[in-house]
Amino acid sequence: MIAIKILGTGCKKCKQLEENAIKAVELACVEASVKKVTDINEIMNYGVMMTPALVINEEVKSLGRVLTSEEIINLLK
Amino acid sequence: MGQCCSCGSSGVKLIYSCSGAANTGYLADSVSRKLMMDGKGKMTCLAGIGADLAGFIESAKCADKNILIDGCTVSCGKLIFEKNNLPFEHFILTNYGVEKGKTEITIELIEDIANKIADAIKTIG
Repeated sequence: MIAIKILGTGCKKCKQLEENAIKAVELACVEASVKKVTDINEIMNYGVMMTPALVINEEVKSLGRVLTSEEIINLLK
Repeated sequence: MGQCCSCGSSGVKLIYSCSGAANTGYLADSVSRKLMMDGKGKMTCLAGIGADLAGFIESAKCADKNILIDGCTVSCGKLIFEKNNLPFEHFILTNYGVEKGKTEITIELIEDIANKIADAIKTIG
């Protein structure tokens, strides 16, 4: 199973990224979990200094921007 | 870089220190922390970039400015940034009259150099 995490303290853009990630999982028909991480210490452990960030299987894939569902699907391939 | 949001804020400046073992590395670390406390940027881990950790590297790519403070002319920090093709503004503390292995690191010295670097950061925007 693919583990997706959305790092962010809860702003509008973080929520949008979470929605896009959920949509991407549905469209890509992959088995994946989407978890939101809001704890600042946990976010810092990834070295992320700008949010929102997208983590797939514990690897930071993007930060500081809201990826579209299509962009996330490409990262899931 | 324009797409980076940092949850709504822009103009993120990241501060890196070589934090080496010599007095100059200690000074670089102290100056970086002082700059962060004074609100000149957010300090983050140079070692994280050296370790090729994606979050640190992506943060450096996304920042408006990476302020890199090396203690001496060996410039380990500069080499790490160059190895990763990352942009940076470079400061070497021995260029500020500090002698490696000799100069005593005092609070006054930390404040003096932090102020000088803060002024330089303002100049570069």
